[in-house]
Amino acid sequence: MTRSTRLIAAFFFWAFALYLFLPLMVMIAMSFKDSNFIGFPIRSWTAGWYAEAWRDGDFIGATGYSMVIAVVSTAISMVMGTWLAVLLTERKFWGRGIVFLFTMLPAVVPGIISAISFRIYIRILDMEPGMAAIIFGHAVHNVPFVALVVASRLRTMPKSHVEAAQDLGADPFVAFMRVTLPFLQPALIGGGIFCMLLSFDDFIRSFFLGGYDPTLPVLLFSKLRSGMSPEISAIATVVLLVTAMLGLWAERRMRRLERG
Amino acid sequence: MTEIDAARGPAGPERNAGGVSVWARLARSPAYRGLATLTMSTPRRQFWALAVLPILWVVFTHFAPLVQMLRVSLLDAYPPTIGKDPEFSVEHYRVFFEDQLFFAPYMRTLIFSTTLTFCTLLIVYPVAYFLARHVRRDRQILFLLLLLIPFWAGEIIRSFAMMLVLGNNGAINIVLRWVGLIDRPIPFMYTPFAVSVAIIYLTSLYMLLPLYSALEKIPQNYLEAGADLGAGAWTRFWRITLPLSLDGIAAGCTLVFLISTGVYAIPVLFGGPNTTTFAETIAGFFHVAGDRWPTGAAFSIIMLLTALAVTGVFNRGIRALQKDKHR
Repeated sequence: MTRSTRLIAAFFFWAFALYLFLPLMVMIAMSFKDSNFIGFPIRSWTAGWYAEAWRDGDFIGATGYSMVIAVVSTAISMVMGTWLAVLLTERKFWGRGIVFLFTMLPAVVPGIISAISFRIYIRILDMEPGMAAIIFGHAVHNVPFVALVVASRLRTMPKSHVEAAQDLGADPFVAFMRVTLPFLQPALIGGGIFCMLLSFDDFIRSFFLGGYDPTLPVLLFSKLRSGMSPEISAIATVVLLVTAMLGLWAERRMRRLERG
Repeated sequence: MTEIDAARGPAGPERNAGGVSVWARLARSPAYRGLATLTMSTPRRQFWALAVLPILWVVFTHFAPLVQMLRVSLLDAYPPTIGKDPEFSVEHYRVFFEDQLFFAPYMRTLIFSTTLTFCTLLIVYPVAYFLARHVRRDRQILFLLLLLIPFWAGEIIRSFAMMLVLGNNGAINIVLRWVGLIDRPIPFMYTPFAVSVAIIYLTSLYMLLPLYSALEKIPQNYLEAGADLGAGAWTRFWRITLPLSLDGIAAGCTLVFLISTGVYAIPVLFGGPNTTTFAETIAGFFHVAGDRWPTGAAFSIIMLLTALAVTGVFNRGIRALQKDKHR
């Protein structure tokens, strides 16, 4: 490629990186502003909003609520996603294409429609909106991602491993638990963290399936609608740092896997 | 099982106090044996034991909600009033086609999503291209991880960050005023422009990943061969790079289109009265009294079918294009 196209591409890249990061940096800067009003200019600085956020019971409550939902829904998604991945990669059967299609369905339905269909479905199942409903919605939505990650790891496993275990007398279940599962472990850790973050960040399903207690994104959304304050910046900054670190860690784990 | 355990020596990790592994004890327990005969004694039984639960799961949790939504959309009232059975009705679909009030947001969402998808592609393609072609291979992952950091922050936090940039006291207006280009702030918020910028901020990473992985797979020697045969930089791009990245373009555009049709929070936070999207229209039916649920369900079905039809036609077009190039 010529020098000029290379320069243009480089310009696009760094402009794009700026577009991605500038808003987050502004947000972090705003969390240190010593004033009740959000926006520039920032004349004096304080760390007080972090203390404020720490004392804010709503925020702490919503974070805990979101975490419980993330952990429980991830556990369900991982069991079902792994199970589906094993079924779809190791067996050839009539209707496999349809099962695959159904597995991927939650990943392609647009957010609002997925939320609405679950709102109707839990009403039909006589479930109240609330924690159980949110967990159900998140678990279903995340199954396709687990299935994809696990299936791609499973395809790299040599058949001889399981065969050896069975030759040594293990039945298929024991062979799965003692050979396949340890082999899948890195994919399960990476995929699990990915799922937890998806659930923790999810707004649309939590918004339509939630009861009176808000999850963290729902709480932030309602705070944003009723007026902004630097406290939201402080909360968002903490969440950003924690999720970004977890996300980077999970992403690195999964990339390392793909390379071998 | 027991011979193997004896052979493995005493220091195995799962060994318990009795000196026999958890798995061996499990295999010996009568309950497990009974279950094992029931589920694993023949290949057919093994298959059913493996297949029944996941198939029930996908049918009853992945597929059934959409089917139930379709059913509710064809009822005259839902949730049903006591003492009156709901009846079949296509009234809620007719409302959509007869009332201009609903058709406008629908068309707006379609045009909006299509335009946004195209813009995202134009913006992200050079980025992915730079990453795959001009960054050293061992640094590519690092750069990619860097760009993924905002992705982990979640929809609402990223929207909030964007509000701080676009607001009247936001970063852009302050910089413009400081430079002296403007006297009073430009009202970016509550315009289609703000909604677009925020949605692209949300979706661009879904475009970046497929594009990057398609571009990264193109062998360098194809381009060298092109150059040897006398093709200039543009010819090489049009005849080699672009056709070979069509898979990535198809996947990225499909994802971005589906996401941008279903975004709810961003139009609510960034939009004004003349940017109402179809997602907001649908959500409206579920905030008020329950008797409008069937209308909301019908509209969701219409939107889902439209979104799937658009992406289906688009993907078919891309595939036809690929076949054309192969000939």
